Amino acid sequence: MKYRYILFALFAIFLFGYSLKTNAQSGQELVDICNIIADDATYLKDFQVKLDAAKPGEEKPSSRFSVVLSKNTIYRFSICNSKDYPGKAIVQLYDNNRLLGSNYIVATGKNYPSFDFQCQSTGVYHIFIDFKEGEQGLAVALLSFVKKF
Amino acid sequence: MFNLHKLINQPKKTMIKRLIYIFILTLIFASCKNDKKADGDFSTEFNVPDSVIYEGDLEISESAMDEIVQNISSPVEMAALIKSLGVPFSKDYLATTDYIDNYDTNFKKALGLGIFGADLGYLNMYNKTGSVIDYISAIKTLADGIRVGQFFDFTTLKRLATNNQNLDSLMYISVQNFNQMDRYLRENNRSNLSSLIVAGVWIEGMYLVGEVARKSPSAELSEKIGEQKIILSNLMILLNNYEKDPKFKELIEDLEEIQKLFKNVIITYEKGEPEAVEEDGMLVIKQNDKQFIEISDEIRNKIINKTADVRNKIIQL
Repeated sequence: MKYRYILFALFAIFLFGYSLKTNAQSGQELVDICNIIADDATYLKDFQVKLDAAKPGEEKPSSRFSVVLSKNTIYRFSICNSKDYPGKAIVQLYDNNRLLGSNYIVATGKNYPSFDFQCQSTGVYHIFIDFKEGEQGLAVALLSFVKKF
Repeated sequence: MFNLHKLINQPKKTMIKRLIYIFILTLIFASCKNDKKADGDFSTEFNVPDSVIYEGDLEISESAMDEIVQNISSPVEMAALIKSLGVPFSKDYLATTDYIDNYDTNFKKALGLGIFGADLGYLNMYNKTGSVIDYISAIKTLADGIRVGQFFDFTTLKRLATNNQNLDSLMYISVQNFNQMDRYLRENNRSNLSSLIVAGVWIEGMYLVGEVARKSPSAELSEKIGEQKIILSNLMILLNNYEKDPKFKELIEDLEEIQKLFKNVIITYEKGEPEAVEEDGMLVIKQNDKQFIEISDEIRNKIINKTADVRNKIIQL
């Protein structure tokens, strides 16, 4: 009798484990999707972010990454959000002291899946990622190389 | 083995009750397992026992190392610049993979990984798949040596290179594998090795650009060499963290020789107003800054020579 229960349990683990596994979107899957969005640009780096929802009265959680970008180069930032979480990622690009641009244009409320950055100065740049309205989210921002100009 | 007849014949109420218990327990178990997997993308996937964790005093803590500048050296960008100038491919520039067994310490293996990684980027950029296999084999050996071989998808890369197919995937997978190794090392208190890989990529990339500039000088290449002043200073921040290690100290001293030469490179800026425009539905951010890099031919040549000395010292082992 005991073996029957064990067999039943193993079968159920396989069934549910498999079905849940195929539904949950992993960071790696998001990187692969983002690389498709990046089109013919060449993959350089990916930044995976998972943030909790903002607590009432507190600032939105965000993640920061620093990268070196080179002069006379066009880079592409592609953003992919996990379907398992409500948050839509906002990626902001800063140089040492000012905001250069973002995939979310506040004036129009438009959210872009990617943007190109025409870099004209070699140096360290900072990427800030948070989620619109402080929602919980999982996303990947992918940095790729488009071309020299 | 599974006697259905017997199962059916037992008291139905008891059997159903037990099956429901098992079912619920299984659900809990399966969902917990899946949660871990979903989160696991951001933590360690491989619990590799490690004897090479850096245990010395650090100027910057291991956790802070995560915030250190990334993409310090990119094999893709260096190779893309060389190719965009119409410079023909030359295998003579590449480090030989013949003496891979001489990379017999973790220090040498990590540096070698960076060097061969840069060479792989150069080969991929020129679609030289015939030579790629030697380099991915060397990289796999070195990566296994510092216990990050699980992140290097040798089988897929070899298949892509052998069949001369999907060369974009070859580049994508190889760069991504290096990023995964780097991330794993940094997350597991082995940033010392990660820093060495970054240093290896930079040294080899700089060597490639230098050798091309020696044979086919151009303003673009001189400027590219000059701008490495900024990148080297970031690399030195990484390496200086481990200066108490004698092997690191020696590498730092060699790179300081190059850094001294870079003091003669003058970089000035003219700030502009960034703008965001939409071009064919694509959002484009234009920086509108100007950066001027002044480097004399004499200094450029000295930097090229010094870089070649440092690089050759590493690969001759």
